Order: sequence, then C-alpha cells, then structure tokens
Amino acid sequence: MAFDLEVNGVRHSVDADPQTPLLWIIRDRIGLSGTKFSCGIGSCGACTVHIDGQAVRSCSVAAEAAAGRAITTIEGVSSDGSHPVQLAFKELDAPQCGYCQSGMIMTALALLNAIPEPTDADIDAWVTNACRCSTYYRVRQAIHLAADLMRAER
Amino acid sequence: MTQRTGVDRREFLAMAAAAKGAFVMGFWLPPRPASAQQRDGAVWYEDPEAPEINAWIVIDPDDTVTIRIAQTELGQGVWTSNAMMVSEELQCDWSRVRPEYASANRDAREMAPEWTLEVMGDGAQDPTGGGEPSFGNRAPTGVFGIPDSLYRRMRTNAAASVKDGRYYLQLAGAEARERLLLAAANEWDVPVRELSARDSIVTHAPSGRTTTYGAIAHLAAVTPHPNPEAITIKPPSEWTLMGTEQKNLDVPMKVTGETVYAIDVSLPGMKWAAVKTCPVYGGDVAAYDFEAIRDLPGVQSAVQLPIPDPALTRGRIFSGGVAVVADTWYEAKTALDRMPINWTVPPENAGFNTDNMRQALLDSLDARGTVRVDEGDVDAGFAAAAQIVEATYSTPYLPRARMEPGNATVLVTDERVDIWIGDQSPQETRFSASQITGIPEQQVHLHMCHLGGGFGRNGNGPQAEQAITIANANRGTPIHMLWTREEDFIGTTYRAMGMARLKAGLDEDGWPLALEVRIAMQDDGFGPTASFGGASRYHAPHYRFSNHETDFHVPVGTRRGVSQAAHEFYRETFIDELARAAGRDPYLYRRELIARTDIPYKDDMIRALDMAAEMSGWGTPLPAGTARAIGLEERGAETGRSATISAMVHTVSISPDGRVRLERVDVAHETGFGLVNPLSVRKQIEGQITWFYNDAMHQACTIANGRIVENNFDTFSLSRIDEDPPEINIRFFETDHWLIGMGHDRATSVQSGIGDAIFQITGKRFRDLPFSQHDLSWG
Ligand code: FES
Ligand code: FES
Repeated sequence: MAFDLEVNGVRHSVDADPQTPLLWIIRDRIGLSGTKFSCGIGSCGACTVHIDGQAVRSCSVAAEAAAGRAITTIEGVSSDGSHPVQLAFKELDAPQCGYCQSGMIMTALALLNAIPEPTDADIDAWVTNACRCSTYYRVRQAIHLAADLMRAER
Repeated sequence: MTQRTGVDRREFLAMAAAAKGAFVMGFWLPPRPASAQQRDGAVWYEDPEAPEINAWIVIDPDDTVTIRIAQTELGQGVWTSNAMMVSEELQCDWSRVRPEYASANRDAREMAPEWTLEVMGDGAQDPTGGGEPSFGNRAPTGVFGIPDSLYRRMRTNAAASVKDGRYYLQLAGAEARERLLLAAANEWDVPVRELSARDSIVTHAPSGRTTTYGAIAHLAAVTPHPNPEAITIKPPSEWTLMGTEQKNLDVPMKVTGETVYAIDVSLPGMKWAAVKTCPVYGGDVAAYDFEAIRDLPGVQSAVQLPIPDPALTRGRIFSGGVAVVADTWYEAKTALDRMPINWTVPPENAGFNTDNMRQALLDSLDARGTVRVDEGDVDAGFAAAAQIVEATYSTPYLPRARMEPGNATVLVTDERVDIWIGDQSPQETRFSASQITGIPEQQVHLHMCHLGGGFGRNGNGPQAEQAITIANANRGTPIHMLWTREEDFIGTTYRAMGMARLKAGLDEDGWPLALEVRIAMQDDGFGPTASFGGASRYHAPHYRFSNHETDFHVPVGTRRGVSQAAHEFYRETFIDELARAAGRDPYLYRRELIARTDIPYKDDMIRALDMAAEMSGWGTPLPAGTARAIGLEERGAETGRSATISAMVHTVSISPDGRVRLERVDVAHETGFGLVNPLSVRKQIEGQITWFYNDAMHQACTIANGRIVENNFDTFSLSRIDEDPPEINIRFFETDHWLIGMGHDRATSVQSGIGDAIFQITGKRFRDLPFSQHDLSWG
C-alpha cells in the first residue's frame, strides 16, 4: 500500500506495509541511514527522529502514524555539521563509536528547542538515550555549550 | 512490490565502490576523487590514484596524505592515534591527513617490509625504542601473535594498538619522510643532509628552495631507501604531534550521520537476511517450515546455518540456526518470527541455570584447584594469625552489548568474496571466508567500516561466518545479514561468570600474615591469573593463589577488561574489608602493604594512590549519606616490563531509600614514557568509569534452562546520563616505562568503590555483583 511521508522537507511516496516501523522506512525505503537500529523495542533511542518537532523512537512508531507530519532525521539537522548542536558535539569531541550519536543529537535538539537553557536536571530528564561507549560526560557539556551557541545566534 | 523512492548519494557511492571492487555489476564508474571520499562516509580501502610511498602512505599532488589504518575504529580513537604515530615521523601537515582502512586483501598477498619486523630498542624501559608487543614478535598467521604479512597485526584487541604497532607505524612515517627527502635531494642535486621536512614542505636552507610533498611524492614512490634498517624513530622528548590532545578525525562525520557503519551498506541487488539460532548454545535446528512463510511479502528463501566450525570461532561452540532472506530486513525478520522452527538441544546444556552453575563454582572453590603461586607456608600463617578474615565474591556472565548489532554484507562469486563489515579481526575473518567458500584468502576482500562499539573483538561471535554461509548459498547476490538485538545476545561471547574466595590471617596490628586467593570460573575463561598471578600486589609473607575450574556451555571471550575487571573487584574489595577489620584507613593500608612488597613499579602504584587521594580531598568531611572509596588498578606490573597503573577515588552518595549516585571520580593515571593522544585517553577513562559503573550496579546475564535470560536493553540495563558522575577529574603523572594500554581495564575500581561506599553508608557489605539486586536502603 502506498502512502506519503515528508522527511526533511522532501515528500516521498512509499509502497510498503504501513505498519512497518518508521525506522525501517527511513533507512531501507528512503535511504537515509544516519538513523540507527539497536534495540528495536523503544529502549535505547538510537533511532530517535523528530515528528513535528517532538523526539520519537522511530523503531516503535508505525510509519503510517507519521504520514502527513513533518519528519526530521539527523540528515535534516544540517548538511554540513554546522548546526550549533553538531558544532558543540564536535568541540567536545563527544562521539566515541558514534553509533548512538545521531539519536543523541536529535534528543538534545528537541530538548534545546523546548528548553533553550536546560539545567542538568532537565538534561537528566530528557536525555534518556543509551550510549554504550558512555559519552554522557561530554554529551552533557556539549548540550550546555550548544545552548550557549544557540543563545548567541538569537 | 518494494519500490525504492530514491537512491541517495551514499548508497550510490557504495554501489560505485562495490562495482569497482567486485567487477560483477556490469557497469563501471570512475573512482572517486580522494577529497570526495571522506564526505560520503565510507572509509574502506580503495586502490590509490597516486603512487604510494609505502603501504601506509599515499600523498596526492594536492598534499592530501592518506594514511592506512590497520586497526578498527570502535570509538577508542585508533583512527586518530595510529595516524598521529605515522604523521609524527612523516612530518606532514596534520590538517591534510585522511585516514583510510588498510587492505586485508593486500595483507593476504604481500609481506611486510623487512624493516618492520624487528622491534627496535631495548624493551619497555627504553624511551627511544619500540617497546615490546603483547603478542610476541613473530607468528605465521593473524590468529596468534603478530604475523609477517603486510600490515602485521590487524587485530584490535587487548588495548594494545599503540603498544604493538607504534614502532612500525613510526617507522613507516620515517621511511616515507626519508624517501621524500631523498627524492628532493636528487631533483635538486644537493646532499640530503642539507634538507629538512616540516608540515609537508621540504626546505633546502642553503638555497632557500622549497617544495611540497605533493609535488615530489611520485618521485619518492620510485626512490628506494638505501639503508632502511638504519632509520630510527623519535623518542618522546622529540615528539611534536604525539602527546598533544587531538580531536578525533572520525568525529565530524559522526555528528552528521554520514559515517557508513556496516549496517548502512547497501548494494545493487542486495537482499537482507535475518537469523535465528538455537537459544541454548550447542543446539541445532531439528526442522523448520519455510512453506509457512514462503508467500509473505518480500520473502526469497531460507538458509540453514550449521553450528559454526569451532576452528573458525576459536573453539567456541555456538548454535545452529536458520536465516530468512528477503527484499528488506524488516520483511525477513517478520517472516522469520512467523516461521515454525524446532530445535535439538543437548540436554546437559539445557540443564544449566544460574543457581546450579553458582553451586558448581562454589564446589570447585572447595577443591584443591591449580596452584599458581605458593610462597611461604600459608597454613602456618593462618595458624599464627590473631584474626582470620574470609569472604566469597561473585560476578555474573556479562556480554559486551555494543550498540550496533552484529551484521555483515557478503557477496560471493566463483572468483572472489567481498565482505563489508566492522570487524576487530579482519585477518581471521578472511581465513573464515576462505574456509567456508573454498576461495583462496588472496581473493577475499574486506571493506572495513567503523564499528558501532566493540569492547572485545566485537563479540568473538560468528557474525561473519553466518553472513558468509548465507551468501555462499546465494552466490552472485549480495546478502546483508543483520542480527536482532536478541540474536546479538546469543551470537556474542561472554565474560565468564566467576567466584572468588579470599582468606587472610592478620597479625595483632591488622597486617596480613597469610593471604590465600581462590578464583573459580569455567575452564576456557580468559585471564584466570589476572591481578593475582606472579606475586601478590599487597604484601603477605605467605601467599597462595589457585585457579578452580568448571565446565559450562556458555561461550566465553575477551570482553572489555577480561578477567582483570572481575579480579580487581575481588582484590580491592577484600583489601577494603581487611582495612576495616584492622581498623585502618583503606588508602594508607593499601599504601603500606604495597610499600612492603618488592613488586616492580610499586613506587608508581604508591604515587597513583597518593595523587588520587590528594585530588579527592581524602579525609575531609562529607555530607551524611556520602562516602569516599579508593582503589588501585594495575595491569602487568608483576612482569617488570610494561604495565598500566592508575588509582581512583570514588565519591558516592546513597539516599536513605537506596538510590546510589557516583558523584565524583578523581583519577590519577600514569603516562609511561608518553601518551599518543591524551584526549582519547581521557575519553576512554570517562567511558570506562560508566562501563564499570554498569558492571557494579546493573548488569548481569543469568541462565535459565541453558539460555541467556536478559537479551535486550529492557532487562539488560544500560545506565543513562542521569546516573553518570557529574564530576570527573583526571590527572596524569610521568613514569619510566611504556604502557601496556588503557582502553579496557581502567576504572575497574568503580566496582569495589561503590561496594565500600555502600558499606560505609549502610553498614551492609555485599559481595555479589551487581549491587542493584540488593537492598541498599538505610537509616
Ligand atoms: S532502536 Fe529504537 S529505541 Fe532502540
Ligand atoms: S558513542 Fe558509542 S554508543 Fe554512544
């Protein structure tokens, strides 16, 4: 069955089972591989994307449910790593293996959009993504730095 | 039915690379310009467009320096540190360095240059030399030791990438630099000694002439060095790039999602495979009913997977299984979930559970075991003691649980095998491919990808062997096999479940007269003698250490920290218990007991303890419900050769309802003669603090009816940012030997540290990890 998805501002007509998790449509049908699969049960956040600006775990959302809404993936944050969140993650050299980092950045971005000057407690509450390399120490600093960079831009 | 909605650039380039590599696609695309390569996110080897200087180095006319990396980037920073070791000697412009994976295929066809074969210098105590490789200098294959094939050691393990590769990576840079200088000297007809090289520019000071590496690289490529054995490497005192904090070169692509991990590989005509193997190790498929799913969307075929040949999995027994091949992975997985499968399970394996395994370990502790060290007369020491302290500890089975599930893409034709994979042992995977397909290793091509976590040879499991088997049954079709998270827990090896009984006899002043250490784990467990072998790190006039073995069916392997992580939990917790029994300060108690030994590097251990204690404000008051604990971490000191030594103080709070928070960690870590990239060392220490926090607090895999019970992140928990220590202070101190490495066995003291803080705050001593299974409430 065909349905339309709007990803990073581009409309895609997708012919697939509409119950397929959004993650697999994004990766295998639309061909954007920055969004990662790790647990498949909504636990780790590696697959985090935005739907209408909200961070969601795309492995646990039926693709159909995202039809007609604005989906943003890591590829839509910037084409060249120039978004303040990306700049901050680079400045802190936060990624290790990097596998969780697309999801981590999408979560951080959703947090900063909702709370432009997050406290450590806000970070603790919002950033529930898992990182097996344990980059949390730098991710926390990077989120604070990103907040500073975004304030300077405003 | 499935229609691609668009081919993105990365996929297109992966197609191009595959076509170029495999010559089976029937079309040809021009090779990418080198400058385009990093942007597309794939970093596997490609035949160079400019002539190479040596097997590690290609310099393009625009001064881009490509450095081939033979180890695998899994977050530990090897992509950057290996490039730094080459660049230090090459004297090239670091901002123009572009790493790329070394070719495991060429490694099968070419031998290492003669000048890489001998380790220069005088071992671990020689700052001007190469140090000593962990795995011996020479070995005929990549499975053991360092082979003589082109890239020598291609494994990424044992935190040894710097230690085992540095002398020949520095030499590779130096050899290329000398040949670039020779080429310029020949061009200008001046003596080579009048030339100098810096930042990819060659200068002839007397005449003021300059040229760039890019301009003369094609000449250097055909200018042999007359006497390469005479080339030496820079000692740390002359380093200008090594020893400085460099941001990791792979990071920019990791914040944009561009990095091509193995899971992201997509090829024209590729099919996906999902796999189910028998959840009881050693089990196999009795029957499966493909007809029941044949008509489901996208489904192509099923392939039965035999129990992998133990000769390809270092003797470990995994399970047989079935793969379903479909157009997309989700279709393959959905169909596989609906396919009836019956298993044949060895009854003795299905009889294992955590309780009876624990009992077997306890029984083995009571038996005599294999005595490794027996100094003095331990029994006489016990008889003379004023006080006996005895404690039994346990640690569970633990997997690596890297974030990227096991996967590989394989294309087998009658002529060659192509494998796209993140792999910590490409030489071994090459061997497996050849064994399974019958195609010679010289015709096996590995296209290496960054790994989404490794933590110990990315699992030691049969991910490559399974993918190769499926592709071999579908020759001509690229097959991308991907495990579910649950399958990843079956396809990995575990750190062995372990127990230890430690017993000390103390004199009237609380100092040990006799110490006995009994370690129990299954007979194929790794590192049985870690932390206790050779000699006791803490002085006891009478010391006995023995291993006690059992036979379990769970395949065990080299998980991060290996046995040392468990053994340091036992050792450091017991020392804390002795200090408490003696009524002494655990920091000063350790200090004194190390001072009384004659173990090599004991002064460095004492410096580490002193520095960590001082950094932490040891002894200053803390709020109620907060405590400090100290621990020593050392590896290899007893050898008197290279070692790695650190100490940490953990400041831990516990709420009355039992919530633990690691508030602060103060770390004193030695540099040895030098750290290559101190920034990577910091990141690794930070990561390992959380790693061992998880081991201490949360993680365990239990066994029921022979199966691993916890097999996804809902039951096998990973801590999140809200549990991470808000303050980590790291200081380095200089020592006079080369380090073994620090990528896997630092921060083991988080385990004993939290345990002793729990004791200080709640009065309860827990000896079975993880602590979250216990009632930690107080007050
Ligand atoms: S893969 Fe979606 S939450 Fe883990
Ligand atoms: S950086 Fe490796 S999982 Fe987060």
